[in-house]
Amino acid sequence: MDLINTIRYTIVYTIVALLILPLIILLMWSFSGSWPWPHLLPIEFTLDSWAYFFNPISGTGRALLTSLIIAIAVTVISIGVSIPASKALALYSFWGKDMIKLLLLAPIIVPPLAATMGIHMNFIKYGLSGQIIGVILVHLIPSLPYSIMILNHTFEGVGNKIEEQAAVLGANWWQTFVYITLPLIKRGIFSASIMVFIISFSQYFLTFLIGGGRVVTFTMLLFPLVERGNRSLAAVYSIVFIISILIFIVILESILKKDKIFKAGI
Amino acid sequence: MNTKIKKKLIPYILLLPSLSIIVLLFLGGLIIALTQSLGYFPLIGLNNISLEYFRGIFNDEQFISSLGYTLYISVVSSTLSVIIGVLLAYQLLKLPKENKFISTIYKLPIIVPHAVGSLIIFIIFTQSGSLSRIFYSFGFIEDISSFPRMVFDPWGIGIILVYLWKQIPFVALMVYTILRGINSSWEGAALNLGANKRQIFWNIYLPLSMPTILSSFIIIFAFSFGAFEIPFLLGPTNPRTLPVLAYHRYTSLNIQQRPYAMAILITIAVISTFLIILYKKVVDLSRI
Repeated sequence: MDLINTIRYTIVYTIVALLILPLIILLMWSFSGSWPWPHLLPIEFTLDSWAYFFNPISGTGRALLTSLIIAIAVTVISIGVSIPASKALALYSFWGKDMIKLLLLAPIIVPPLAATMGIHMNFIKYGLSGQIIGVILVHLIPSLPYSIMILNHTFEGVGNKIEEQAAVLGANWWQTFVYITLPLIKRGIFSASIMVFIISFSQYFLTFLIGGGRVVTFTMLLFPLVERGNRSLAAVYSIVFIISILIFIVILESILKKDKIFKAGI
Repeated sequence: MNTKIKKKLIPYILLLPSLSIIVLLFLGGLIIALTQSLGYFPLIGLNNISLEYFRGIFNDEQFISSLGYTLYISVVSSTLSVIIGVLLAYQLLKLPKENKFISTIYKLPIIVPHAVGSLIIFIIFTQSGSLSRIFYSFGFIEDISSFPRMVFDPWGIGIILVYLWKQIPFVALMVYTILRGINSSWEGAALNLGANKRQIFWNIYLPLSMPTILSSFIIIFAFSFGAFEIPFLLGPTNPRTLPVLAYHRYTSLNIQQRPYAMAILITIAVISTFLIILYKKVVDLSRI
């Protein structure tokens, strides 16, 4: 029995170590001044790469802000339109339901690449190319299906019994939505928001194509650094990237916990 | 009567915003790509619908080798991700004490962007990377050039490693959630009837989590099949993966290459659509 547990721990720790160790190497690169082959550790530590990152000339602050604006807009729109759509898919039966569901979830499987190159010309024609609004629109293609999928699962689990009771007791639809539905689906909103935020925040190709180099997001700065193999600077950008996403998750979690509306549901 | 019609309309009204976005941007884009791939592209003076461009790409050796290369990378990375991911999920479930730290930290690669994942694999596996340094310190290799090429290589090892790094935790997370929900009293009953650990895994846990395992396989397979970033950063110039090939044709100065780019993209979309159909069949079957 003990042997089995030892094997279990070995397997789990080995896999998790292989997944996490690379991030530690990344962190070391961000502080390395000189780290030639075949040294196992940097021979010189420096804050130069971090200093460049924080220097206003590098334009990173602006790019980070642009990424944030786009990702938050995509998250708000996705969640906003997914809540009614997922409710319809989970709780109503109607003609064409299977077809509609398949269509809404299709971009998870059919890569958005084809659709984006297809609409590219039209985006140029209608002046959406090179604009933040155009990038937000195109980010919705890969994001929306995931938020619909997650919220659909949530609604299936929650059902509509409690909402019906509220209606019987005389609540109007807005009261029902704010005091009953929202608190019930907040875990789903949380997971869907994280998923959508990450998809938009990490997006390179769609931003590059539709943004046409004029919408400079954080990935736009990171990508060339990786391409050129500039390890220390790329490591700094990568770490900031990961930390930004973690901060978003923490903030979102605290909002969902503290909000009065959501408290009503606990 | 009037309220009855109203009631029937409710789900469509609720779906309208999402549907408009997907129909206009996704379906619309696909249809435009399809018509251009069939040679209807008035903007550059093409008005005749034909299968010329599809015939063109399927007679092109570069395209055929790209198709094979892309399929190979997706099959290998998705299969390995699913096997190791399920193993990790099951071992996590069976740990004698739930380890909060471990069961949180393993998810970290999921939130890391693909460009960062590519950088990490580059830092470790390139010829001057961490692994090569470790090999040198153990005396396995004598100089930098005797370390095998593992990024920008024709076997796609670097690309596959990034997918593994990102997708193993994803599969583990999906499967672990399902495994945890499986009623453990079945395991007790099986034990009482004399089943051993291996039988319990193969006959209880695996079949019950099969729909989730299959759907995560399809999702990661389709993703790697149509993804651009990782093969663009870590792939060799020859062969290229299909999305990278399509991108090069699309951005070619010769605008007459556009229909070929669209034909490649439509091929990717058709293969993925076939996957959806297969997926629906498989999931339906496993529910019986």
